[in-house]
Amino acid sequence: MDLGLLEALQLPFMARALATLAVLSVAAGIVGLGISFREMEFVSDGMVHAVFPGLVVGAALGGTAGLLPGAVVAALAAAVLFTLLDRRGGAGSDAAIAVGLTGLFSLGVVLVSKQRGYVAQLQDLLFGHLLTVTEAQLWQIIVVAILAVIVMLLTGRAQLFRAFDPEGFRAAGFSVLRTDLALSAATAMLVVAGVQALGVLMVVAMLTVPMAVARLLTRRLAWLVPVAIAVPLLCGVLGLWWSFVWSVEHDLAVSPGALVVLLLVAAYLLAVVLRVVLRRRGSAVPA
Amino acid sequence: MTESRKTTDSTVVELRGAAFGYAGRSRVARLDLDIEAGSAVALIGPNGSGKSTLLQGILGLAELTEGTMKVLGTTPAAARKQIGSLPQADSRNAELPVSLRQVVAMGMYRALGPLRPLGRSGHRTVDAALDRVGLSAFSNRLFGELSGGQQQRGILARALVSDPRLLLLDEPFNGLDRENRDTLLSLVRELRAEGRTVIVSTHDLEIAQQACTHALLLASGHTADEPGHPASFGRVREALTLEAVEHAFHDATVEIDGHTLTAPSHDHTDTRNEPADRSAGTASRRRRKAD
Repeated sequence: MDLGLLEALQLPFMARALATLAVLSVAAGIVGLGISFREMEFVSDGMVHAVFPGLVVGAALGGTAGLLPGAVVAALAAAVLFTLLDRRGGAGSDAAIAVGLTGLFSLGVVLVSKQRGYVAQLQDLLFGHLLTVTEAQLWQIIVVAILAVIVMLLTGRAQLFRAFDPEGFRAAGFSVLRTDLALSAATAMLVVAGVQALGVLMVVAMLTVPMAVARLLTRRLAWLVPVAIAVPLLCGVLGLWWSFVWSVEHDLAVSPGALVVLLLVAAYLLAVVLRVVLRRRGSAVPA
Repeated sequence: MTESRKTTDSTVVELRGAAFGYAGRSRVARLDLDIEAGSAVALIGPNGSGKSTLLQGILGLAELTEGTMKVLGTTPAAARKQIGSLPQADSRNAELPVSLRQVVAMGMYRALGPLRPLGRSGHRTVDAALDRVGLSAFSNRLFGELSGGQQQRGILARALVSDPRLLLLDEPFNGLDRENRDTLLSLVRELRAEGRTVIVSTHDLEIAQQACTHALLLASGHTADEPGHPASFGRVREALTLEAVEHAFHDATVEIDGHTLTAPSHDHTDTRNEPADRSAGTASRRRRKAD
């Protein structure tokens, strides 16, 4: 089998995988702005871990169809819990989130280990199954991602103002709690959208790395979201293609999700180097 | 601070036996005063005397733990659209890649709602505010790349885009160089001349003398549990007596305008006689020598 990039991406399972990554890239680019501006990377990691028991319970009760409802319930509960913990602030809140995420993750592992054939299930939940996303799952991902984007669009101005100047934001009559809950809910929905395809362990990369790359590459607000969308799209196409080629030509079964995440991390490192070089050049230019 | 004052239509802030604080605990108390339209009130006092809490109280963001309050004839929440605020500089995240123009536009977010675009008139309003604070040339600069003084002026521009009747400025002069300080002072005078009311918290007595009509001196409590309270309130010349400053700062030795004033108890030396054009006059606590 000797397919080119375009032909390979037209194969139904590849097309669905690419569509999944494209939807996640757009949604993560938009929600990621809020996560990055509010420095909520750790909280979103906590949310991802908290979703895990929801997935397990959902799968136990309803099989594959139960995954999404289970994840939604767990993610929204985690969003409210972590927002309230973050609001409480202080040194204890990070510790409480850490306790929460490890506790809920362990709960998920205990629950899943009671199932038969749990190793395969666990692997799917942890690492995702990008190439076996079904059409129904793709539609679920699209709907949940659109909801996350709508929440961000409706609160985008508030999110920006709140991240920039919380005191001024409150003084202008905005509600900090409502805005924070909206961001947490959007993050939770994106986690739910991404977790089936990328798995619990890798979805957080999609939430945080693209915007981190964008912030290294540009300091213009208007460019952040387009760059944060373009980077995972490019990494997605490359990751899927390489995974396909290695599998077909070299008989190497490489997880495409993990490859995409690795490429995202490589893009981040490249952006760091680029930033350092540009900064040095900039500082070498006489004022 | 008379007990029975008649509130007029021009009363912008009316406090009657008011106390403000958080979680049910008062941080500043015994506030009984009227602030009239077009006045500029300097809020002066040491750290912990409750200056910021009072400003937050007027905004409705600190609890009214005792007494009553009216702002622009109504509740703070209802009046908020007509209030412009310049919070302390450390509340901002200057690392975010937002331009000065975008920051100023934030002042219109409340009126615009989530989706309505800024539009031509909005852009004109932002331009006018930037022009007013002398930062038109910096409009597209990143906020974090501006100097501290320019940032303060930018935030003042953000407060001005909503055309507020009342402006609350929390320590706007902290860390400013002479040029930015003078610009901000003349802006305060201009705003007052337009009939807006300005309440500005500061450690700097000179600012009160140069730009304000009134001064409210707040004294901190003698213990951590005791809330701050007024030491004097009135026109600047009447309120800023050395006795009141002594009461507010619990110290007989205060530096004003680069002059160290040491007064025995009950000395009524008036600070208005002091020259005001020296280096920044910061009221600073000095330790008394032990006898």
